Amino acid sequence: MTLYTIATSDEAATQAVGGALAPLVAPGDVVVLTGDLGAGKTQLTKGLASALGVAEPVTSPTFNILLVHEGRIPLYHFDLYRLTHAEELEDLDYWGTLEADGVSVVEWGDRFAAAVPEQCVVVRINITGDDTRLIEIEPRGARGEELAEAWCAASAGLPGVNVGSGGEGQ
Amino acid sequence: MSQILLALDTATERTTVGVARLGQDELDVLGTAVVDAPRAAMSRLLPMTETLLATEHLTIADVDGVIVGRGPGSFTGVRIGVATAKGLAHGLSCPLWGVSTLDAVAWTFAYNEVTVAVVGDAMRGEVYPALYRCGGGKAERLTPDRVAKPADVAAAWAELGQPLVLTGNGLRKYAEVFTDALGDDAMIADEDLWAPWANGLFAGWLAQLSGEGRGSGDPADVLPIYTRLSDAEENERIREGLAFASPPESGVSGGEPA
Repeated sequence: MTLYTIATSDEAATQAVGGALAPLVAPGDVVVLTGDLGAGKTQLTKGLASALGVAEPVTSPTFNILLVHEGRIPLYHFDLYRLTHAEELEDLDYWGTLEADGVSVVEWGDRFAAAVPEQCVVVRINITGDDTRLIEIEPRGARGEELAEAWCAASAGLPGVNVGSGGEGQ
Repeated sequence: MSQILLALDTATERTTVGVARLGQDELDVLGTAVVDAPRAAMSRLLPMTETLLATEHLTIADVDGVIVGRGPGSFTGVRIGVATAKGLAHGLSCPLWGVSTLDAVAWTFAYNEVTVAVVGDAMRGEVYPALYRCGGGKAERLTPDRVAKPADVAAAWAELGQPLVLTGNGLRKYAEVFTDALGDDAMIADEDLWAPWANGLFAGWLAQLSGEGRGSGDPADVLPIYTRLSDAEENERIREGLAFASPPESGVSGGEPA
C-alpha cells in the first residue's frame, strides 16, 4: 500500500492542503486525523471547511465531541478524545453520521479500531520544524486510495506545498 | 366510540408519523407525514406530530394510544423514537405499543401476493435482513431479527430460487449486491417504500391482535430493538474496552511510532 506524503512550509500551506480536499469529497467520505497538539489538525480542517463554503469559525470540538458545519455538503467534525469506550460511539450515532450526507473529519479517531471505517484516509500530521509539517496520508479501501491520490494531485503546485513521491507503508 | 391513535418511527433516516381513528371494527388512517433527512428526528418529530394532529383538528391531548417503531435501525434513531413515544404515553397516561420497524416496511405489501425481503441498514457494512410472506392483507414474518453481511444474505436468498420483492433502506448502499446475486428473481420496490410509513405501523399493530399479542400497553414494557452485535464485534469491543479503559494521561495524541 502506498503511503502518500505532503510537506508544508507553514500554517497557511497546511490550510491550503485542507482546502484542496474540499472539491474531492463526497457524502460518506471520512478523514481520520491524528497528530500531536499544535501539529495543525484544526488548521487542516479549517482549510477544508472554508473551501466547502463553511462561513462560521471552525474550532476543535474537544468538549462538544461533534460539531456540524453546513457547507457544500455538511462537515461533521468529531473529536473522540473524551470518549472512554468504543461503545460510546453508538451514543453519538457515530456510524449513522459517517454514513449520512456529509464528509466527516475525526480527530483522535485512531484511539478506537472500531472508529476507523474500512473506506477512509488516515492522516497523520508530523511536526518537522517550527512551521513545517509532514502530512502522511494512509489510504484505506478503494475509496481511500482514490481520495488520497486525487488529494495529492490537487495539492501539488500549491504555494509552500511539496508533494512527495510516496513510499511503501505498512 | 372511537379512539385516536398516534404512530411514529424514527429508526431510519425517515421521520414518520401518522394519526388514525380506531372504530368498532375498523381503523381509519386520518393522515401521515414523513421527512426524509438524516439526523432530523430530534428536531422534527414533535413539531411534525403537532402539525399533523392540527391538520386533523386534533391536539396531543386527544390521543388515546401511541404506537412506536422499535427498530432495528440506527441506534440513535431507535432511541429517540422509543424515548419520545414513552414520554408521550406517560404524559398522556395512555397505552404504548411497539411494532418492528422492519415489519412496518413489509406491511406496505400486505395486499401483494409476493415474498418480501426487507434489507434494513445496520451501518458499518451490515444489514438487518427479514423475509415476509405477503398477501391477502397480511405480512407474515418468516425469519427472526439478525445482523449479517449483505453478500451472505444475498447468497442465501439466491438459493431460495424464488422471486423476491426487495425493499428496505439498506438497498441505498447494497441494491447491487442483491440484484447481482438474485438476477431475474430480484424486484426492487419503489424507493419511497424502503423506509416505514405510518400505515405500515398501524397495520402491523392491528395484526398483533391475532398474532403474538400486543403486550400490556404499559409504556415501561415497550423495549427498543437495538443492533445485536455479532460475536466478532462483541469481542472487538470487549478488547477495546479493556485496551482503552481510560484516556491517555499525557494529553497529547500518540506520537509513538507503531
